Amino acid sequence: MTQHRSVLTAAATFLVLVAASACTVKNSGDTGPAGNAPAKRGGGTAELADGSGVKIALVPGGAHPYFQPWKRAGADAKKRLGLGDVTFDETAEWDQQKQNDLLSTLAARGYNAFGIFGVSPTDINTTFADLKSQGFAVASLASCPAGGKNAADFCLSTDVELAAYKAARATIDAMGGQGRLVHLTGNNVDANTQRRIKGVKKAVQETGGKVTLLQTITDIDKDLQTAQKAVSDLIASKGPQIQGIVSTSYNPAVAAAEAVRESGSKAKVVAIDDDAKILSSVKNGSVSATVVQNPVGQADIGAWVLALLQSKQCTMKQPGVTIDSGSFVVTKKNVADYDDARKAKTAQLKKKFADEYLSCG
Amino acid sequence: MKTASAPRASETDRPTDGARPPHRLPFWVNQRLGLLVLIVALAAVFGLLRPAFFDERLVLFPLLRDIATLTVVALAQMVVLSVGHMNLAVGRMAAFGALFAGFGYDRLGLSLPMGLVLCLLAGCAIGALTGWIIARAGVSSFVVTLAMDFALLGLVSLLYSALTENAAFTTRPDGLTELRSASLADICLGPVCGSPAVPQIAQFTLLAVIGLGFLYTRTRMGRELLLTGANPNAAELSGIPTGRRIILAHALSGLLAALAGFMAAVGTGTFRASIGEDFMLPSFLGAVLGGTLLTGGVVSVVGALLGTALVGVIRKGLDLLGVGLESLNIYLGCVLLLALSADRVRTVVSYRKVVRST
Repeated sequence: MTQHRSVLTAAATFLVLVAASACTVKNSGDTGPAGNAPAKRGGGTAELADGSGVKIALVPGGAHPYFQPWKRAGADAKKRLGLGDVTFDETAEWDQQKQNDLLSTLAARGYNAFGIFGVSPTDINTTFADLKSQGFAVASLASCPAGGKNAADFCLSTDVELAAYKAARATIDAMGGQGRLVHLTGNNVDANTQRRIKGVKKAVQETGGKVTLLQTITDIDKDLQTAQKAVSDLIASKGPQIQGIVSTSYNPAVAAAEAVRESGSKAKVVAIDDDAKILSSVKNGSVSATVVQNPVGQADIGAWVLALLQSKQCTMKQPGVTIDSGSFVVTKKNVADYDDARKAKTAQLKKKFADEYLSCG
Repeated sequence: MKTASAPRASETDRPTDGARPPHRLPFWVNQRLGLLVLIVALAAVFGLLRPAFFDERLVLFPLLRDIATLTVVALAQMVVLSVGHMNLAVGRMAAFGALFAGFGYDRLGLSLPMGLVLCLLAGCAIGALTGWIIARAGVSSFVVTLAMDFALLGLVSLLYSALTENAAFTTRPDGLTELRSASLADICLGPVCGSPAVPQIAQFTLLAVIGLGFLYTRTRMGRELLLTGANPNAAELSGIPTGRRIILAHALSGLLAALAGFMAAVGTGTFRASIGEDFMLPSFLGAVLGGTLLTGGVVSVVGALLGTALVGVIRKGLDLLGVGLESLNIYLGCVLLLALSADRVRTVVSYRKVVRST
């Protein structure tokens, strides 16, 4: 009986496989209606005429303090530009598959323009191409795809390699141009981390051997506790040898500022971003400098350009262009007024978009 | 396709020797039927609240692609649960397998199927090694797979850093892009084409479900796996080579984890180290919700599919309703808690039935 059943099951499986191989497969070479159409030259204006049909979703890779200004900037843009809607959704949980699912769900909910911080820089072009093929306007915000090619309409992001280079330069200056430097950063298997490591190495190489890179510590940006443990271990084992610490991730920066202050180490610390903790450390001198980015500008300009593109009022002259949203070194001297420089950069970027990157009319 | 080592839970299903059980629970107690009803009801509720839920291309296709991948993850966990073990390294084994596939495409210029074969072999080998250590050393699977998880975390990261510039293999062999986006609508039998909601990548899940269903319901080896899980000492005394069965279960788990890693990589586009990072919780959730016992001896292949589908439908529905991050995880956490409680209740009910019938 059992043998008879086994034969039947085997035969059924065989039939399924034969049926599968007998099926014809359609050619799936079509790329959809909205490929990378050549940009038109026009004499129109970059002032948004009617954005009521545009619904923008700003989608970070997951929850992180860096993206919180997007929420406010998106709501402001909705009001100012009269957009159909702007939503901020941080439920991707740092998983590319979940982010892809979230984006398609948002599309099903009627959102038709997307400002995205891709979780995986090596995979995100596939996601962008998917969304573009369905006729949506797409911007890569705060991070560009790895490999130099960008399938979104544009990428508006901090040049992470340049920001890391600036941070390392600021540390080297604070160290007096010589000594040993330690680099603290995030997930080693992330393309952006690799870019940051390159930026720091470049700054060290430029000193011609006066500054040496003692160690690059990766994978300590998961949470503050992990970073605190790693930094206290570092200070305990190599404290006297270290003259400078540059952190290109948020949690290690906070941990390094605390550890140096508490241990009385003479090491100079340069941090990233302008979280309240870091700013107060800059003010009290335990952090020599911090390199701040421009999240408000990314969301603000991103929403405006997405509305222009999705309403078909403008096209990108060069689809996939990458634009640096700016990074600024903040020290005790300019800690009070650095935001003015950032706003000026945002205004300058808007003008550049209108004059150079967009073709309207 | 639920299978139990007789007689412990055989009351709820047809026993493997084909004889009718003495005490059958009414059909409505069947857990898989309950799951199916729940999935259909939830889909109907979400569909009523948001008609976009039935959007084939934007909602159902990605939902089914996710379910297909996570079902294989749940099956990878189910196989080791069947021998009363667990595999905490299921995600890293997926990353390990995907690493080999990526390496094969990028450095060896392999075709899509050959890369998949290499991926499966790597997963099978690492799983077999884990099983061998457990069987040989007699250390708990919890400890060994946890250690394996750490070892693979380091090894996979190290290899990606050493072998690639951006910590990912980005070479795509012919057919990978098509496999990612193709649905049954691209397959036609004469003039009749399939549904655009069903992704072609689900063929791997179907094969895994059929294969494991066959193993557990039709083969002696499958029954020996379940007996090893139900009572290792009794199995050993009955002449079952429990050590070899443990190695087999872990090798199969590694193979399925690697398959899931391949499917996840195809789903997002590249082979990278972070593949499988979030696999562990869904692996247990899918298997346990489906009726597989954490203590071993009882598995449900179709249940793993239904359990995974339930979680997928809830998540997708909440996404469509625009539920925020915190509430989303609260709801998912509640489902896990309910699943584990239901598992305990079923164990108690099964036990009482056995006591009453003897």
